[in-house]
Amino acid sequence: MTAIQISFFVLAVASTVSAIGVIIFRNAVHSALSLILTLLFLALFYLQLGAMFIAIVQILIYAGAIMVLFLFVVTMLASEASDNEPPDRIPWQRGIAAALGFILVGALSYLLFTGQTLDNGAKASGANSLSHVVSTQGNIEAFGQALFHGFTFPFEVTSLLIIVAILGAMVLGRRT
Amino acid sequence: MPLSAYLIVSAIIFTLGVIGVLVRRNPLIIFMSIELMLNAVNLSFVAFSSFLDSADGQMFVFIVLTVAAAEVVVGLAIIVSIFRTRRNIDVDDMNILRG
Repeated sequence: MTAIQISFFVLAVASTVSAIGVIIFRNAVHSALSLILTLLFLALFYLQLGAMFIAIVQILIYAGAIMVLFLFVVTMLASEASDNEPPDRIPWQRGIAAALGFILVGALSYLLFTGQTLDNGAKASGANSLSHVVSTQGNIEAFGQALFHGFTFPFEVTSLLIIVAILGAMVLGRRT
Repeated sequence: MPLSAYLIVSAIIFTLGVIGVLVRRNPLIIFMSIELMLNAVNLSFVAFSSFLDSADGQMFVFIVLTVAAAEVVVGLAIIVSIFRTRRNIDVDDMNILRG
């Protein structure tokens, strides 16, 4: 086994275990901490795949900003919404959910193993390929070029989305 | 590593998110499970971007990240305002649309 295979399997097991932690911990703070761990492991996956800018953004925005917001709300509501969940009104819900989850992951894995493989014609080549731009100009330069040459309009629409989200949060958070 | 290895990890994390949404009744943990699903999709986008040698997958991750941030902000604001009016955030108790 090469080093990249060993690191892949370690990361795969670690991210799966911490993702299981998100859904089984009783206390919401523990779930949030487990989610932060999962996001950090996914950032390491991105580093392994060569997407360095995305990995840094994942740590700064997701594990930093978004999860801090989560933890603030969790601690704000924690006194009332404690870990003593009342008994389930639908007792068979857990079993059905686990069975459906196994079916979903089984079907996805089956399709991934038996489906058509990507042919090499789909790959970018020559001066357009990501590895060429990264090697000649650098990682963040490649990201910026791709963003502002092909995705300028979605990028601008993103700012509209953020304005709408800010206004929505202000309206909902106002005391009536 | 082959592409399908990354996609299977992505499928496992996505399924864990789905199970979390189905099983848990604390809306905050349901939100965290939605984040898990978004991140699983991000992993497959980055894997495809790396294997197709094209930067387009990373653009999609960037947009998904923004959408996730906006969704979390509005969703948590809704949960806080529900908590203010009802003093209780169990999703099984939220079965009326009237205020």
